[in-house]
Amino acid sequence: MLAELPAGARHSSDPSRELAATRLDVALPLAQFDISRARTTGDLRFLGYAEAILAPWMHRTTVAPQVLILNATILQSRHAFDAALAELDQALEARPDDAQGWLTRATVLRVLGRYDEAMASCEHLARTADPAITSLCRQSLRGLTGHLKDAYAVIASLSPQDLVPEVRAWRYSELGEMAERLGNDPAAELWFRDGLHMAPADLYMRLACADLLLRHGRAVETLQLLQGYESMEPMLLRVAIAHRQLHDAASTQAEALLTNAFEVEQRRGDAVHRREQARFLLDVDQAPTAALAAALENWRVQREPDDILILLRAAHAAHQLQAAADALEFLKRSGLEDVRLDAYRSAT
Amino acid sequence: MRGVLKTGVLMGGVVLRGVLLMIAAAPTAHAHIASNGFLVANVAGSDITGSMELAVRDVELAVGADADRDGKITWGELRAAAPRLARYLAEHVSFAAQDDACSLAFQGIEVNDRADGGYAWMPFKARCPAAVRRLAVRYTVMDGIDPSHRGLLTLSAAGVVQTGVLGGAASQDAFSVFAPSRWRAFAEYFRAGVWHILSGIDHLLFLLSLLLPAVLLRKDSRWEPVAAVRPALIGIFKVVTAFTLAHSLTLTLAALDIVRLPSRLTESVIAASIIVAALNNIFPLVTESRARIAFSFGLLHGFGFASVLADMGLPQGARLISLLAFNAGIESGQLAVVVAVMPIIYGLRSGSFYRRTVMPWGSAAIAALALVWLVQRAILATG
Repeated sequence: MLAELPAGARHSSDPSRELAATRLDVALPLAQFDISRARTTGDLRFLGYAEAILAPWMHRTTVAPQVLILNATILQSRHAFDAALAELDQALEARPDDAQGWLTRATVLRVLGRYDEAMASCEHLARTADPAITSLCRQSLRGLTGHLKDAYAVIASLSPQDLVPEVRAWRYSELGEMAERLGNDPAAELWFRDGLHMAPADLYMRLACADLLLRHGRAVETLQLLQGYESMEPMLLRVAIAHRQLHDAASTQAEALLTNAFEVEQRRGDAVHRREQARFLLDVDQAPTAALAAALENWRVQREPDDILILLRAAHAAHQLQAAADALEFLKRSGLEDVRLDAYRSAT
Repeated sequence: MRGVLKTGVLMGGVVLRGVLLMIAAAPTAHAHIASNGFLVANVAGSDITGSMELAVRDVELAVGADADRDGKITWGELRAAAPRLARYLAEHVSFAAQDDACSLAFQGIEVNDRADGGYAWMPFKARCPAAVRRLAVRYTVMDGIDPSHRGLLTLSAAGVVQTGVLGGAASQDAFSVFAPSRWRAFAEYFRAGVWHILSGIDHLLFLLSLLLPAVLLRKDSRWEPVAAVRPALIGIFKVVTAFTLAHSLTLTLAALDIVRLPSRLTESVIAASIIVAALNNIFPLVTESRARIAFSFGLLHGFGFASVLADMGLPQGARLISLLAFNAGIESGQLAVVVAVMPIIYGLRSGSFYRRTVMPWGSAAIAALALVWLVQRAILATG
């Protein structure tokens, strides 16, 4: 056998593709399906399939808002945040009550560090969406803007039984990250582990849990956690770091695969894994100057706590903390609390 | 109205699952590399040869390969799909020289394993109406199936390698294939030759072992300094010329694939040749015709140079000129070393330091170092 087609991949003779070109009610769920396949398997090709399904609908003179919102999700998954925002704004103008649109918009703005605008999107959400979703949307932002302890308590008080599975998984990963930022790593690990028990396919939570373990040098447990997920680049990066921590020869294979993957992405001009690349250069290649350059490049595009963390770590390792002045200024302005960043904050 | 209602219901579903998507957003949780096709093209005159590599999963989407629909593609299924794939690729990849279309045919199929899975590898031949000066490449593989697919092009012509990314909005690109690139090829291979001889300390030590005694004469089992410049120069000239002739000969034969030797063997014998030449300075057996040693072992050093050239590859259409450039680079580097060493050893030749210390102990050190290489290359080397 040469290749196994992943579950959900359509055969070439599948008629759905042609059907989707003429019927919106076929195209939307099909594209939605492909996007969730990309999310749960980490397989970037599914984003391309979704894009192909939406393409005929995107080329019309007036594009249906639902099509724009799904297309924006694809763009956002490729970290083309500005393009995603433009499509979301266009869609929400035509459909101001679209909860999905406001939620995606809030997410993109949050990644960009534009917290006030993100909060405004959450407020729009309140008009149409489930109160639990609205609450998560708001509290996750309050947790980044100076009210971490309080937001953590509010989200923890949301009863998981009242939430649909997807929202429940979001609650767990949000609580885990908040506990980490508060400096309560044992609690964070419990949130992540419980969340993964409930939603084992949540790749985001698995990565967050792996990073927590690696921060404590728990490489063997990291490898156990990531077993079977090595085909995904961000997972493979954590595997390589774990092998490094164990001074294990098995790291060279993972490193070669990653180097190759980054090279191909570079050639393509893709930017999906900038943060990973910076982390690879810092923790695996041990090239702090190159890592700092990659982390700064990443910082220009996205501003999550992990983006700040890799930037500060690289700047510190390269003895060029002034290169991260912009990020430190952002921390001060936003009131972002994160004990992982405190050591660097006080260093300047 | 019904349609609208239905869409509304569907989007309701999307909101719930959308939360999932939303969380995927903040993170960077995807992986696997996106879909890539690897297009390699070598231009030689009006001919283009090369290959196209497409992931087996993408072959399924493009032309269908999973005949029994079990979700697995076997070698037999891929081979059966090969004619369809060849037609598909010929429709979705095209070349033009100065805007005139080239004929293109794919034939044969092999499988290549890459980091992200199995790839179908198909060689092609194309013929253009005229010698290629400006090559236009059009690439629409996976069009309408996966807009994020990209064709990664590696184009080599006259020793110059260019790369390009095709697909998506940019399905076409053009590349200049200039004649001046011959000079660039020459310069590149000349530089490589110089660099190799100057950094290839084993070749230099061999030469040095033969040069050290060139300013001396063997008389009654003792070394005497030569009386004048002339005999010293003649000795050096003979040794260097013999070494040059010999390694140029085998370099050419190996580079043009006429003779081949396993590299472990040549590398080991090169190390042995240094030991022999160095020991001959301490326990002289051959004193008058060191040029013969230079020639016979020079033959092996030529194979050593050839393996470097094999790693670089000789560009299609500029094979001879690149070989010549590489060889000229080696000779120039070598000449520079001889010119630098000669006055020093000539100046030192009369003193006892040269005859009692430099000759025996220098040679011994060279022999010892070469012995380490010999052990590494012949015994410790694996594969």
